[in-house]
Amino acid sequence: MKDKRVYAAIVVALACLLPLGLDEYKLHVVINSLFYVMMASSWNLLAGYTGQVSFAHAAFAGIGAYTSGILSVKAGFNPWAGIVIGMAAAGFVGFLVGVLCLRMGGIYLSLTTLGFSEILRIIITNEYEITRGTMGLQVPALMPVYSKTAYFYIMLGAAVLSLIVIYKMIYSDTGLNFRAVQNDEKAASSLGVDVVRIRVMAFTVSSILAGMAGGFYGHYLLLITPEIPSLDQQFLVLSMAVIGGLGSFVGPILGAFTLEILAEYIRGYGQYHVLVFGLVALAMARFSPRGVMGIVSDYKRRRNQSLIAAGELRG
Amino acid sequence: MNGVVIGVIYALAALGVSLVVGIMNVINFAHGELYILAGYFSFLFADALGWNMYLSLAVAVFLVFLFGIFIEYILIRPTYGNEMYSLILTFILSIVLQNAYLLIFGPYPNKPPTWIKGATEVFGLFFYGNQRLAALVVGAFVITAVFLVIKLTWFGKIVRAASQDREMAELNGVNTLYLNMLSFGLGCALAGAAGVILAPVFPVTPTAGVQVALTAFVVVVLGGMGSLWGCVVGGLVLGLVENLGAAFLSTGYKHIFGFIILILVLLIRPAGLFGRKEI
Amino acid sequence: MRKGLLVSGLSLTMSLVFFLVFGIAPVMADTVKVGVVGPRTGTAAATGKAFEEGIKLAVAYVNSKGGVMGKQLEIVFEDTAGAPDKAASGFERLVIKDKVAMVLGESHSSSALAEIEVANRLKVPFIVAEAWADPITAKNYKYVFRAGPSNSGVVNETIAKWVVHEKFKKAFIVAENTDWGLGIAELTKKALEKAGVKYDSLVTERQSQDHYTELSKIKAFDPDVVLAYVYGTGLHYFVAQAGETKLTPKAVILDGAGPPSLWPDFWKNVGDYGNLECFVSSMHEKVELTKLATYFREAYTKEFGTAPTDYKSRSIFDAVLIAADAVNRAKSTDADKLVDALEKTNLLVTRGMVKFGTQMGGPEYHQWMPPMLIVQWQDKIQTVLYPTEGATGKLKK
Repeated sequence: MKDKRVYAAIVVALACLLPLGLDEYKLHVVINSLFYVMMASSWNLLAGYTGQVSFAHAAFAGIGAYTSGILSVKAGFNPWAGIVIGMAAAGFVGFLVGVLCLRMGGIYLSLTTLGFSEILRIIITNEYEITRGTMGLQVPALMPVYSKTAYFYIMLGAAVLSLIVIYKMIYSDTGLNFRAVQNDEKAASSLGVDVVRIRVMAFTVSSILAGMAGGFYGHYLLLITPEIPSLDQQFLVLSMAVIGGLGSFVGPILGAFTLEILAEYIRGYGQYHVLVFGLVALAMARFSPRGVMGIVSDYKRRRNQSLIAAGELRG
Repeated sequence: MNGVVIGVIYALAALGVSLVVGIMNVINFAHGELYILAGYFSFLFADALGWNMYLSLAVAVFLVFLFGIFIEYILIRPTYGNEMYSLILTFILSIVLQNAYLLIFGPYPNKPPTWIKGATEVFGLFFYGNQRLAALVVGAFVITAVFLVIKLTWFGKIVRAASQDREMAELNGVNTLYLNMLSFGLGCALAGAAGVILAPVFPVTPTAGVQVALTAFVVVVLGGMGSLWGCVVGGLVLGLVENLGAAFLSTGYKHIFGFIILILVLLIRPAGLFGRKEI
Repeated sequence: MRKGLLVSGLSLTMSLVFFLVFGIAPVMADTVKVGVVGPRTGTAAATGKAFEEGIKLAVAYVNSKGGVMGKQLEIVFEDTAGAPDKAASGFERLVIKDKVAMVLGESHSSSALAEIEVANRLKVPFIVAEAWADPITAKNYKYVFRAGPSNSGVVNETIAKWVVHEKFKKAFIVAENTDWGLGIAELTKKALEKAGVKYDSLVTERQSQDHYTELSKIKAFDPDVVLAYVYGTGLHYFVAQAGETKLTPKAVILDGAGPPSLWPDFWKNVGDYGNLECFVSSMHEKVELTKLATYFREAYTKEFGTAPTDYKSRSIFDAVLIAADAVNRAKSTDADKLVDALEKTNLLVTRGMVKFGTQMGGPEYHQWMPPMLIVQWQDKIQTVLYPTEGATGKLKK
């Protein structure tokens, strides 16, 4: 256990050095990746660990972003305060949606979240008097003087915070309960696990994290559009989690960075990156549903097994 | 009036979904993209290649049918029993197809030639586009055809048996594997039929399929999963509600009614109007 | 086991990140780079195409006259797809990654409004070509110029005057819910009020394909003219469905932007209902105000095989020329020197003499308004109706 934390600390420390080596544009790509790391990991918490495949994740990020944005622009709130309120709003709505979906099985839940996501997007687009709809809402920055490096550290901090929260949830009793519920609800509840509480908690926590990600991202982009709570974003988040490895902790992180960096390279050749992701995600989902991390762990398992068989490793 | 026409088309698209859901317990997210694909094909054949219009329609739908079987074989087959898996897979598929269309057909909307030009005076009250009237007639015709097939033919019997109780059907000698392939293909073909009927009115763009698929899902849930009558009634209801709602509220909110209905139904009566009790 | 997973996972991630560091290397070439932003995908992708054509001709023209500061001019065209978020990030990419000296173009007002913020933050000169909303120049940003129409210019100089000229008594305004649509609708309402023309209005979705409900509302008002401020193929459906519901030809439809009525698929989507439709334009072969305009038409015909139809290809041509001229006079790509040079612009382009306004406090700041025309499709021939000095025909009903 201690080893892992040391490794993680080393990685974060190295990450802090990045602004020295990267130019502004590459830093922008990393900041984008951090946003997706937050989104993919929190979605993974819900879909990978409790089996509730929600399509409303991007919508929660949108709630965080728009709440904070509208408060900052129309009511003059400090953006930081706005983000906190945005997180609370997203969490609250997440809680409601979680309760709404309590009695629903897989497909119905997904459809409901889909419907919810679209309703939100339609409202945002139509109430352009408040949200400026597709014209975009311009919001203030998080600091008086714009600095990409400062934004980088902020996003890094937010991402690390998110990941710590997720990590603690997964590797705690609650996490075990999550997985119990995912595997077999009836069995889990017969063992005394409060299924209802678990499912709603997963929704609430993941939507708070999404709201935070959305809030920070919105104030980084300085422009909030209905693109944030859109199904296109949802798709990116979903494919990052799936390709990286649904149900693993590192998977979504890996997926987010890989796909975002890949997107930048492909962008040089044309707008093909979504197609490429889609195809990779399709192949991955079809042949290796646990994603890259799944492949890695399968490989390790087989290697260990052959080593044991050869007597070189004690099983 | 517009509501009725749109409603019939919704019903047609939803029929395909209902069929697949009823038999295979799979929700095909890419349903909309198949609708679009048929539209593109009919545009290609009729416009770019200059084939006879009716031939283009038939070939387009047939190609989509084949494509549907292909998808079933490659992607859906391994997902039997695990709904979430097929959901994610078809969701990804739908995005892949959308982007593929963007690449292959370009971002401009493509419009196959209209069957009938001009407009007619309806009930002496107002003018309505002829192509839309044609869509209404043909759409209703196809729906009736599907009903007849299901009710009367041998194939239809098998479909009904399998959707009611899969295991029993298998025990009775039904080859469920082939059945699945065929029904999926048929479901896609129905989406394609809706596509070719409406494409002359609403030109196809790479992303137009999303709205179609979402609407089809709403209709299926409203009408009840697995119930064909439900699709028809649900489709008409939705079409009317949307158009009336748009007339009274702003037109931008047109599609919100569908989603609100979806959530309400799922909350209050998940089985829908005519559906079975559980899925 | 878990530790190994974590290590391999994280090291993979880190190596990817460091891959970034040694990533895309900048290409050193002997050119001066200028960026262009515009919709290469989306409902207005045809405008992107028009831009491409204009850019090609402009680059050839500039480089044949000695280039920019002795070097070749190179244009980097970034897709903004009519979406403000893509516009902002695309603009930033041009400046930070491609290191352009200045940026030109854009044809979506909402995108342009996002882009001027980035231009202001990064201190990069931005010459807007065809985004009309007033706030773009009314915000008085030092680095932002517009060598193209503004909403107030189009409404007050052309549209309102034409409505009065044709003696229309009732007008219906259909506006898309974008910065351009809403802005021009507001200005139109004010102008119509001043002119004593009765009007009603509604707001529509740009992407909408079904306008039947709206058309019945419009028919109930029984207008003489419908001012359709919809930019995209949505306009095609509107015109087609207006014909089906017999709103036209009794009412005359004016396409308040212009290009949608000129796109290649206009006649396919609209059919015969496109006849007698009016639209705004800034280009017509019988109204060639300068020698350069004639040059443009001939060069275009030679290069592409047909006469130019979409006036936006010529607008971006002008913008490129203005940019090259400014760099040449400033003898540098320093942003502030470029702004100085731009403010002193006195250049002949296809649409007239370019001089940017200096009056602060309104949209005239850094604005040059080209003359606009009202054109009508009469049996598939473009007939200029207004201004009367350049007219080639009269309004047909």
